[in-house]
Amino acid sequence: MPPVFSEIFVPITWATGILVVLLGFIGGVLSGFIGSGGAFFMTPGMMNLGVSGVVSVGSNITHKFGKALVGARKHAQMGNVDKRLAMYLLATALVGIRLAVWINSLLFAKGDSHGAGKGAASDLYISAIFIGVLTFVAISMLRDALRPATEGQGPSRAITDFLGRFALKPIVKFPVSDVEVSLWVLLPVGLATGYLAGTIGVGGFVGVPAMIYIFGVPTAVAAGTELYLAIFMGAFGAINYAFEGYVDLRLTCLLFLGSLVGVYIGAYGVKVVSERYIRLSTGYIILICVLSRAIAVPVYLGELGWVRFDPVWNLWLNRGSTILLFAAGIGGAGAVLLQVARAHIERQRIQTTLLVRRPAVES
Amino acid sequence: MPIVFICSVPFGGGKRLAQSLAAKLGYAFLSREDVVAKANECGIPVGKLEVAMVKKPAVRERLARLQQRYLAVATDTICEKAAEGDLVYYGRAGHFLLPGVSHVLRVRVIPEQTQRLEAAMAQTKLSREKAEVFLSAIDEDIRAWVRFVHGADMDDLKRYDFVVNLENVGLENAATALCGIADLPDFKPTPVSRRAMEELLLQARARIRLALDERTADADLTVRSSDGVVTISYMPRQGSIASAIPEVLHDLPGCRELRCTVASTNILWIQEEFRPDAGALSQINELARRWGAAVELIRYRPEGDGETPASRPESAPRVTAADGGVEDDVVETVSPAESAFRETLEQLVHEGRSGGSQTVAGSPDRLLAAVRPDISYSLVVLGEVFLDKPPAARMRMGRDLGNFLAGRLKSPVIGTAELSAKLRFGAGQVAGIAAALVALVVLYALIFTHQGPLLDLLGGASHRARPWVAPLVVALIAPLVAGLYGLVASALLRLIRLE
Repeated sequence: MPPVFSEIFVPITWATGILVVLLGFIGGVLSGFIGSGGAFFMTPGMMNLGVSGVVSVGSNITHKFGKALVGARKHAQMGNVDKRLAMYLLATALVGIRLAVWINSLLFAKGDSHGAGKGAASDLYISAIFIGVLTFVAISMLRDALRPATEGQGPSRAITDFLGRFALKPIVKFPVSDVEVSLWVLLPVGLATGYLAGTIGVGGFVGVPAMIYIFGVPTAVAAGTELYLAIFMGAFGAINYAFEGYVDLRLTCLLFLGSLVGVYIGAYGVKVVSERYIRLSTGYIILICVLSRAIAVPVYLGELGWVRFDPVWNLWLNRGSTILLFAAGIGGAGAVLLQVARAHIERQRIQTTLLVRRPAVES
Repeated sequence: MPIVFICSVPFGGGKRLAQSLAAKLGYAFLSREDVVAKANECGIPVGKLEVAMVKKPAVRERLARLQQRYLAVATDTICEKAAEGDLVYYGRAGHFLLPGVSHVLRVRVIPEQTQRLEAAMAQTKLSREKAEVFLSAIDEDIRAWVRFVHGADMDDLKRYDFVVNLENVGLENAATALCGIADLPDFKPTPVSRRAMEELLLQARARIRLALDERTADADLTVRSSDGVVTISYMPRQGSIASAIPEVLHDLPGCRELRCTVASTNILWIQEEFRPDAGALSQINELARRWGAAVELIRYRPEGDGETPASRPESAPRVTAADGGVEDDVVETVSPAESAFRETLEQLVHEGRSGGSQTVAGSPDRLLAAVRPDISYSLVVLGEVFLDKPPAARMRMGRDLGNFLAGRLKSPVIGTAELSAKLRFGAGQVAGIAAALVALVVLYALIFTHQGPLLDLLGGASHRARPWVAPLVVALIAPLVAGLYGLVASALLRLIRLE
């Protein structure tokens, strides 16, 4: 085995390759379904397959770059991209990505280059951020989905209204989104989005809600703008991680094989499934992904020598984490596929059943 | 006689002008307050809606249903009152409610600023400085409201027939002048404009009924009407309400036929003459079937040079019923073109894809105004227009119209010639996809048969020696693979008709 395999990259067998394609497919379906990047599934999935955290993030952000490049065009055609807003966010998002790459690379290099601890600090750090951020996201989604629907009630605007009171100058106008935002609010949001995109590849989980809840941007524009932003963030992240030597193009290409088909199917699912179902199912899937990552944490703690237990547990914890993650992904993607198939069949059935009524005419 | 719309901002003297005009003309007077009261009766919290729309743009998607209901109530209130007799309406932007109705006189009132400020101070008991800030904030909120509710700029003077500047003209003199203007033949009702108003009323009533019935209240429905035919589109996931719609609307006055179409999205097809046997129809039908879309037809008759003396170039669109958009008082016999248009529509109805139809005559601005802003179109197909022009001019003008629409509609606009690219795998497309597939296979083969050197370049000794090569390789290969594979994947899904 070439030394570069054991130090940074993993050998890819047929079985590993197929599993990475499956990861890409499930991630793609979920991503098309909920409109996020799917990194919340693919990054930990690759880590479960033995890929180090930093390479998982680097390879996934490269995958995100290519995917966003393909997807943003359609959003732009629909007028859902606020390029001006994206450029303002990008200014600090690039700083956030660079910061994330620097921390990840530093932690990865800190491990013993010949021992088991190589990459463990980075894996632990990525897992901790992953668990923290995605727990918050999943609980918010579930709370939103389970609260009683009230006519006219939208997402909470408390933060927007609160920040709006200060009107910290300079205020920047965004005609496409029809909002005005203080530059001092834009900059930290961009920084946080970039940092999370660079750390765990889920910048959209911060960027989109921030645009909606903090800036007051319409949902469709927020999603389109995030995808547009992802092109630049993805490109910058990919280049940075590649410069540090943490992008495995083989994994990126295998992810593409699954995700670019999956994303179409997921996006089709959105048309036929209610929004509440989308939020509920996504919330549960993310929670299980978080649980799966939490199960793997003791392994990294053990590798760092912070806790001690029988090494045989490493195997069981890894297996448990992997099974849970794949169960969540396959279950979630399976539910989406089932809905899509049902709708597809139903659509075939009802295409010709146009209801035509001729009520009595009153002059 | 026309419906006179007086549009102004609060404290601007517009209401007094409208009341004075109504008294002079002997017309009934209706104001925005009446519309708001009616909306509140119908369970629409207009105050909350205004605050939400003006201050909280992020909740737009969820408020869109309420907004549509409000517009329906406003249209219904104005049309019903106008049906009783002549009417002067005072409000912010009521004239936007009756597109296609030509017997409306739209007047914008520019207030006398000092008087406005004093009126505001007297009524609100605010200091001069605070009153100025208050008026400025109100104006901005109203602009935002009009922009969102009507998708238009209320300060766009092309949207009005007359502007009264109270800085220069006294209120009573302005009212006297408007009396004469209201009597001009340009603003007289015609059978066509009356029918257009009846259609709007029918559409508004249908929407209100559906909104008030608990079975359909929460559904996202698109309501269109043309020539007494009401077309309702509903989402596939709301299939359970399909049977309720005819029950809710079974005795709707003026509705001679009801069509319910299940649709996930909409395709708008604009053309000058439709033929049921044309290839474009079957292509659009096929596309609609794949997308689960409703197809809305607009028969567009561009304006000829100097035609239709009564037309007003920048006025609202002449959206007419199925008589072809003529503006004279004579009801046409059905022409072959009209007959073909109806047959095309019938074919869409038969296929279960009808999203309604309308005929628009006039400038591209009128065509644009006829496109409903509340309907999301996945695609706009622009067929042959300007048929009376020579082929070269027709092509150029058609292309200009396509660019005009593409620049203003939030939907992709394509020509019927490009439709085949969306559907068929011609020799060129097959060759392109095959080339992409071959390139992909070669790329993947190269990557997976040269893993050692590649990984060395990406993170091994070569990378340590030349770290800048890896970013170049990544920046080149990732988008290339994504682009090529995206092309192949979308083509494959198109083949299995899953788009």
